[in-house]
Order: sequence, then structure tokens, then C-alpha cells
Amino acid sequence: MTKSRFNPWTWLWVTVATLYFFVPLWGTFDFSMRMKRGAFTFLAYEKVFADPKFLDSFRYSATMGVITVIVSIMLFVPTIYWIHLKLPRLRPVVELLTLLPFIIPVIVLVFGLIRTFSRPPFRMTQTEFTTDILITAGYVILSMPFMFRAVDVGMRAIDVRTLTEAAQSLGAGWLRVLFSVIFPNLRVAILSGSLITFATVVGELILADFLVRPALGPYMIVVGGGKAYEPAALGILSFGLTWICLGIIQLVSRGDVRLQPIGR
Amino acid sequence: MAFLEISGVTKHFGPDAGAAVDDFSLSIERGEFISFLGPSGCGKTTTLRVVAGFEQASAGSVHINGVDVSSVPANRRNVGMVFQAYALFPNMTVAENVGFGLRVAGQPAALIQARVAVMLELIRLPDYARRYPHQLSGGQQQRVALARALAVQPQLLLLDEPLSALDAKIRIELRSEIRRIQQELKLTTIYVTHDQEEALSLSDRIVVMNMGRIEQVGTPFEIYNYPRTAFTASFVGHLNLLPVQVTDAATGACTFEGTPLASSQPAPNKQAGSARLAIRPEELVLNGTGANRLSGRVLSVNFLGNVVRLRVRVGAVELSVDMFNERKLVLPAVDAQVVLSFPAHACWLMD
Repeated sequence: MTKSRFNPWTWLWVTVATLYFFVPLWGTFDFSMRMKRGAFTFLAYEKVFADPKFLDSFRYSATMGVITVIVSIMLFVPTIYWIHLKLPRLRPVVELLTLLPFIIPVIVLVFGLIRTFSRPPFRMTQTEFTTDILITAGYVILSMPFMFRAVDVGMRAIDVRTLTEAAQSLGAGWLRVLFSVIFPNLRVAILSGSLITFATVVGELILADFLVRPALGPYMIVVGGGKAYEPAALGILSFGLTWICLGIIQLVSRGDVRLQPIGR
Repeated sequence: MAFLEISGVTKHFGPDAGAAVDDFSLSIERGEFISFLGPSGCGKTTTLRVVAGFEQASAGSVHINGVDVSSVPANRRNVGMVFQAYALFPNMTVAENVGFGLRVAGQPAALIQARVAVMLELIRLPDYARRYPHQLSGGQQQRVALARALAVQPQLLLLDEPLSALDAKIRIELRSEIRRIQQELKLTTIYVTHDQEEALSLSDRIVVMNMGRIEQVGTPFEIYNYPRTAFTASFVGHLNLLPVQVTDAATGACTFEGTPLASSQPAPNKQAGSARLAIRPEELVLNGTGANRLSGRVLSVNFLGNVVRLRVRVGAVELSVDMFNERKLVLPAVDAQVVLSFPAHACWLMD
């Protein structure tokens, strides 16, 4: 770039964007610290952590998040791999399908799930375990656009077909190719997809609310209805969690040599 | 039966598509270095992939060492493959890449380590074991890919345009390296390329292919000097073509714009009429003593180092003339009138 480094317009827009982003955040944080009149304390945070319901719902959501991530990886990585390898013409169609969760409101999805699977022969809403299976399936669908995109981009960065053929010509079977060659070279892609999936599940409200599961989303709504300072603290906490996830993605994708997504 | 028998291999991609490979049959002896040479889309890579097991032939069979492998999957054929794009595993070091095939085969670690060391010695990169592919140049990556393919001691080595992604100097260096290693291991090798220079310099035999069919099989000398089809003649090397009238089909005598010319072979269709007389640029001699003589005007003189290439207008056609450089060579001036001569045995008639 030959333009002046100190273009005043650049700085103006950076300042405006920063203010737009940080002022509400700071406001929320400031408010969450003022539970005790006239003091600046972490009392609201203490109260949040002291509530066993918070920990229970967080534990539940985190567990569901991990399960969803595992199911998504098992489902999407081999599927996308197969599409890249054998059915490249199908890719745009599948890509469009994975966008459906953005188009169909979650409320429609959850009603569809309940109407279909709560009646015979499924009766899946009768027990907590089967409801959890149902909610996991819902989470997998909700996070599908993120997981698909992350893995798809990762696949495109490596020459999947040639790497597969190279491994095959050296005697490797399908499982060997998948676990020794494909998965390790998609580590960064899979990890970033996983973290976004995890964040989506932890922050999800509607599925858990309608399927009456003790997740973090519904808990936050309940707290928000009856209290003043704790919701602000929760907001900051969940924001922090998301940031930590994003930070890990950044850290890993910069990563050391072993995690380089592609050879140069 | 030869070591590798490719019999009647035909490949269609889809029911309506034309044949990518059409009735390809070839016997390859143990230790031979064979090149498949042809323009892109001629079916050479498809044929190679059928031999490797990455494509299923629509018809025909492949026998390696007497065993029909037509329905054996690629990972059980024990065929080494080197790709144009190197295809090293980015997550593994050089040593891990080279040892991959042995690990898949479940060899003990000590043996793998020893074998990897031998292979790195063979490709002359012994100090690179711990590097990752992205830390190597293209030429080094392709050497490692070669070592990786050879480490499992394959029955057959297949190379799919292995040098096309490299720059000229590395290409020539690695070319002789490939030949050296192939000779050292006495390995049966198929080499796919569109580069005639590579094919001519490396191969024991060349298979010239066009539109899915074999045009000609022969040693580099035969392919270059005695091309049997018009395609081979024009694809391999430069070729001058003179439109001539055949006067005596049996002896190959003809005339070009009234000048009588002699060729040593009979006309291919055994009858008089229009034909083309083919002659290589290096067979034309300036002011020489050959039986056939044509006079023309020099259009351009290109000094290429070891060779000087002239363009000479003779009647209605332009001919290329190659001369070897020497320090006492006197170059003709542009627009100068020259006489080109060539012996009867240097030219041949084509339809």
C-alpha cells in the first residue's frame, strides 16, 4: 500500500466500530459489578456461582455440547470426505441443505421434532434419556452449517483425492486413510468447527426450553425474569466463554508446524 | 507372459462418454522403463490409473507377474505411485512419510528406521528426516515422494507427470536422478508425460498415445527417426512438411513446385498424387551435397546456444533448419538466398 499510514478516515471508523462494540459490553460489565450500592464488587458473580442450578445447567449444557461435537464429527467428516472424493457434483446440493437451519426457524424445528417423535411409535419425550437423544439430534442440525463449512474448507485446503490415492498405493485401507491422513490434516478445521458447535449448544435456548431440559439457556431466561444484576453477570460470563473458544481457534490455527493445515 | 500385461484395456467415463482409453494392449518386461507420451486428454494418465487400481477398466485386464489384478483394490497391488502434486502427507515428517507404507504393512520399528535411512540416502537427502514437507522445495518434496513410493519395494513404479510442477533446471536434474534410481533398483517403471524430451531421454521404450489409442510403441530412436503415423511424426520433435506430387509411388520419387525430389521409402498409399514429404529440421543442410536440393530465402536466424534455427522460405512453404553451433560458424544474413540440401534417406512420404 502506498497510501499514507495515518489516514484519518481509517482511524475514525476504527474508533466508531470499537465504541459500537465495547460501550454496551462495558455498560453490562459495569452494571454487573454494582450489586452492592456504592461499591464495585464481584458480588453478582459470586451469587451466580453460588446457585447450584447454575452449575447444574452449565454442566448439562456443556455435556450436551461435547456429545453434539462428537456426533457431528463422526457424521460430517466421513460424509464430507466421501462427497469430496466420490460425489463432487453433489457438493453444492449438500451445501445448500446444510444452510437449512438458517432458513427454518428453530421453533419450527422443535415443533416438528415434538410432533413427530413424542407420539407412538417413538414416544421419545417420555424419558429424560430419550429426550436427550432428541435434543442432541436437534443440536447437530442447528450447528450443521458451522461444522459443515469448517470441515469443507479444511478439505479443500488439502488435496483430499491425491492424498487418499497416495496412501492407498502404499497399502492403506479406508480406515487407515481416514485416521492417519485425513483426520490429522483436518485437525484445525475440525477443532474450529467443534468450538463453534460447542458455543452454539451452550447458548441455545429454544430447543431446551420446549423439550424441558435443564440447560443454560432456559436458566438464563428464568434468572433474567426475576433478578437484576445476575443476568448481566451471566451475559458477561457467556460472552467470555465464547471469546475463550474463539481464542483457542486463533491460537491453534496459528499453531506449530504439526498443526499446519497445508504444506507449502 | 511378460511381467506386466495390459490387454485390451478400455475405459469409458459414463455411459454416453467416448472412450478415454480405447483397446490399449502392451507387454512390459521386468526392469523396463516405459513412457506414455501424448497430449493432455490422450488417455495416458487414465491408463496409468487403471494399472494403479484407481480406475476400474470398462473392459480388458491387467496382469502383474502373471496375476490378474483387474479386480484387486489399489491398496493390495503393491504398486508404487508418484504424483504430479507430490502428495506428501503434510502432518508427517519426511521420515514418517517414507516409512508410512512400512508402518501400514506392520513392519517392526527398527526395520522401518533402517529402511527409511537407506531410502533417504538413495534420494540424497539423508539430513532431512525430521523436516516437514512444507519446509522442503518442490524438487526435494518430489524426491521424498519417490522414496516413499520405493520404500515398500513395489513390484511396479508408476510416475504421473512427476516433474511437470518443477522448474526447468530441477526438472533435468531430477530426471537423471529418476533414471539412476530406476537402473540401480532394476525396477519396472511406467512414466507418464507430455514432454517429449523427458520421454526420449529416460525411456527404454515410448508409447505414443493420441485420443485414447496407441499410435506407436518403440525405442526413443525408432519413435523419433521412424515415426509410423503422422501424429507421432508431428508430436515428437519438429517436422517440416512439403506438399508434393508423387511421381513414382514405388520408389518414393516426387516433385515439389516442379523440383524433383527423391525419398527412400515408397509412398504409403502406393499411388501417385498429392502427398506430404516430411523432413526433420536437423537433416536440412545449408549449401550441402545432399541429393535433394531446394533454394530459398532466409526469413529469420535464431541463435539458441548449442543450436541455430533458421526459417527459410522455399516456394510457398516455410521450413525450419537446425544447425549445430560452432565457433567458426558463419551465419547467413536475413534475406540471403540459400540452397538447402538433404539426402534421400532423410525424408519420407506421408498422406
